[in-house]
Amino acid sequence: MKEYAIETKDLKIYYGKKEVIKGINLRIPKNTIFTIMGPSGCGKSTLLRSFNRLLELNMDAKIEGEVLIFGKNIYGEDVDPISIRRKVGMVFQYPNPFPHLTLYDNIAIGLKLNNLVKSKEEMDKRVRWALEKASLWDEVKDRLYEYPASLSGGQKQRLVIARALALKPKILLMDEPTANVDPVGTKNIEKLLFELKKDYTIVLVTHEPAQAARTSDFVGFLYLGKLIEVGPTKYIFEKPKNELTEKYLTGSLV
Amino acid sequence: MKIKRLDMFQIITLPAVIFVFLLFILMLSVYFYNALPAFFREGLDVYFKNTWQASEIPSKEYYGLAAAIWGTVYSSIIGVLIALPISVAYSIFVIDYAPKKLKNIFIIISDMMAGLPTIIYGIWGAFILVPFLQKYIMIPLYKNLSFIPIFSYPPTTGYSYFSAGVLLGIMITPFASAIIREAYQMVPFTYREAAISLGLTRYEATKILLGYIKPAIVSGMILAFGRAVGETVAVSLVIGNSFNMSVSLFAPGYTISSLIANQFGNAYIYRHMLPVLYAGGLALFIIGLIVNVIGIYLLMRWQKNVRI
Repeated sequence: MKEYAIETKDLKIYYGKKEVIKGINLRIPKNTIFTIMGPSGCGKSTLLRSFNRLLELNMDAKIEGEVLIFGKNIYGEDVDPISIRRKVGMVFQYPNPFPHLTLYDNIAIGLKLNNLVKSKEEMDKRVRWALEKASLWDEVKDRLYEYPASLSGGQKQRLVIARALALKPKILLMDEPTANVDPVGTKNIEKLLFELKKDYTIVLVTHEPAQAARTSDFVGFLYLGKLIEVGPTKYIFEKPKNELTEKYLTGSLV
Repeated sequence: MKIKRLDMFQIITLPAVIFVFLLFILMLSVYFYNALPAFFREGLDVYFKNTWQASEIPSKEYYGLAAAIWGTVYSSIIGVLIALPISVAYSIFVIDYAPKKLKNIFIIISDMMAGLPTIIYGIWGAFILVPFLQKYIMIPLYKNLSFIPIFSYPPTTGYSYFSAGVLLGIMITPFASAIIREAYQMVPFTYREAAISLGLTRYEATKILLGYIKPAIVSGMILAFGRAVGETVAVSLVIGNSFNMSVSLFAPGYTISSLIANQFGNAYIYRHMLPVLYAGGLALFIIGLIVNVIGIYLLMRWQKNVRI
């Protein structure tokens, strides 16, 4: 049996009594970019947040079914959500580095509080490593002790990526990472995604079909809480089997 | 001909600004003018000497506000130190942990307490709080730790800086927590998500978010300190009203505002007392000014770097 990075089994999510994710079975292979696309409000972000148990911050949210990360159900009884979140990093729609922490501390904070790094030299090394991984090192190496306010939107977002990478996760969840970034920044981030794919499994959420086409290996089309169609990007964009997918891609889905 | 168009609100709001500014200048100058005789007679001793000799023979009168200034600052600092952790904790609890239905009740209670007439706190402080503190805190501390200077004064009456500080702490907590709570509630949800997504515990995430609202905590504390400095009746009921200057927490003391309130009625009997009381009022202005300048400086330094 092949082990997937993420696999969901009949995953259902409710907000109160409202069912927002309606039974999803999904398999995301390792070291790929998997895009979940769909119109606003279809449940993309909710689905994504069930992969690192971030949804638990919302007290109304209720989850049924299973989410397997490398074969292990993260909603099992003996699972510590904190260990899951270290393995599954996340980047958000709004570039959200902590504005009151320096660039250095933004990267270091997760490592420091999780006690993952023992010495100052190790921390320096890890911070540099994460920033290099996120292709941000050259731009910020002289101002590590400044605050994120001095960065552009795209740089902030790469800082957030570095912050997530610093914990050395296996999977990176990205919730519309370029929605608040200008075109140049977007291009840089998309380029970075290709780099990261070698070491990480990336789950990207977007409402832009074009971005899905540019970046991903696989695409899943989510509509009103249901996974309408999944497949290799090429097939989905060239010959969608489902009428809804075709309508969405041509912009005629209301 | 072109007439510069004035915004309607500019016309309406400008007088209010001018009025407030003039009022400030007017009050400051009235206090300064009325305090002048004290400065001419005693110089700066009026602030730096601790003495209070009221006499019907004017040449024997001599006054110094040092004890009252010290008492004001000391008891207010104690109050702020007590209010800081409680109001932060209260804010976190109300926003993060209180059950939805109880949340508003907690908010209403604390907001109501912030607006209670201070005499209510004063009476309660004098009859309930002081005996309680004396019996359960001051006496045990004095018995066991009196070799430490701050515990070295025998708490015979209980009326002391400590009692005043605790009472002030209780009085300003609802006020400070209202400011901190509002700020804490405004923290964008995405920062909480970010912290949690890094594998931090709820406690660690909350600590980061508190860093984010540090300016609100600072300004809440400064405003609370301002309130504590100006508090009159309640403090005068529990501080002991004696011209004493000591670091010992359990010693009685005085504050400027309670001194003014207590002495104002009979100041006319003496020739030189009234200007000294005005000088005391001026000292309150100055303390308020210093505290606010420090607060604004801290906030500006913070904002310069951080800009959210």
